[in-house]
Amino acid sequence: MVMKPENIQMDFSIEEQKQRLINPIEKSMVTQDLVNNVVLTTLNDLYNWARMSSLWPMLYGTSCCFIEVAAMIGSRFDFDRFGLIPRSSPRQADLIITAGTVTMKMAPALVRLYEQMAEPKYVIAMGACTITGGMFSTDSITTVRGVDKLIPVDVYLPGCPPRPEAIMDAIIKLRKKIDAEDFSQRANMQSTHRFHTIKHEMQAVEPILNGKYLELPTRIAPPKALAESGIPLPALQIAQTVKQEA
Amino acid sequence: MAETENLGSNKALSSDLAVQETEGSAVSKWLNQNGFDHELMGLDHLNVPILKVSRDYLFPFASALYAYGFNYLMFQCGYDDGPGGDLVSTYHLAKLGDDDLRDEVRVKVFLPREDPRCPSVFWIWKSVDWQERETYDMYGIVYEGHPNLKRILMPEDWVGYPLRKDYITPDFYELQDAY
Repeated sequence: MVMKPENIQMDFSIEEQKQRLINPIEKSMVTQDLVNNVVLTTLNDLYNWARMSSLWPMLYGTSCCFIEVAAMIGSRFDFDRFGLIPRSSPRQADLIITAGTVTMKMAPALVRLYEQMAEPKYVIAMGACTITGGMFSTDSITTVRGVDKLIPVDVYLPGCPPRPEAIMDAIIKLRKKIDAEDFSQRANMQSTHRFHTIKHEMQAVEPILNGKYLELPTRIAPPKALAESGIPLPALQIAQTVKQEA
Repeated sequence: MAETENLGSNKALSSDLAVQETEGSAVSKWLNQNGFDHELMGLDHLNVPILKVSRDYLFPFASALYAYGFNYLMFQCGYDDGPGGDLVSTYHLAKLGDDDLRDEVRVKVFLPREDPRCPSVFWIWKSVDWQERETYDMYGIVYEGHPNLKRILMPEDWVGYPLRKDYITPDFYELQDAY
């Protein structure tokens, strides 16, 4: 039987009302509204869901791997759809993808950036160089053999360099890892320093690179012995000509 | 010299090369005529003459080459001539002008490992600035008269000169194998 408005008789008898309640012809609006508007979950899941859906990575790249990360940011692979918005400040970032070789000169800067990031924070070691030192692992004098010597790594992403699809896969794996995390275990997951340190007695000194490179007196005038030797100094002559013309 | 003999046999192949070769030694001849003492070490595979000069005369020698027309320093670099051997500072010069006269020359200065001092040519070719810094960084050749001789690639507090043949890499924690 098809219910049409003109067929419906207004019957307010108790029996009719009872039948309507027991055998409703459509879904009960109350239950439907409840299903649509009330979500039952745990706070833990909600927290993890919010975190994994807005992983903000830090813009960090030291060599060729970052080209792939840049491709990932671009429209073809578009990692914004995972809620990844590249941040230029470690204070706003949750994730650092170490894209590229890390040298001993870069290492203190990397550790500092990592320490400046707010907890909870994640690390993806991207590419062979940051996993083991890669092609520099045998005879390089400065390449750090894997960033896990410096900072704790969550996901190792091999490749030289890995394709954007691989980065996407690493991010999905990291999302799974975040999703499985438990509130109550957070205290056990705090990172600790894995390296041995000793108290030093070194003195802080002025940095030797002070931004005055071109204004150095030694750069403006040649050494006295050279100026008095009578040998023509083309670099000085060119500088003087430029000065006169200006 | 073996290098010269090889190129001698190639000379017959192309008259162009022969012209280049006389051109190449022309620099050497001109320098000899004007009393700039040096040794012609031969020609390389592109017939670029290689001149060896003592470090005491490098600056006037370089100045003379500039006056001759070599106004462009293509590169400066260093190398280690083998364990216990000399450290070498190399300059590759070219003529750059409106005419098509292409000419190149390479100058080498051999420096004893115990006392690797070398005059800086910064006041002739300014572009040598960072290249001499890099050579200092890697080989410890001290360029006297350089305006700002500091390490450029390695950390400022690094000990030793890593591209020397006798350099031994310290067993830093960061450099130990990751596995």
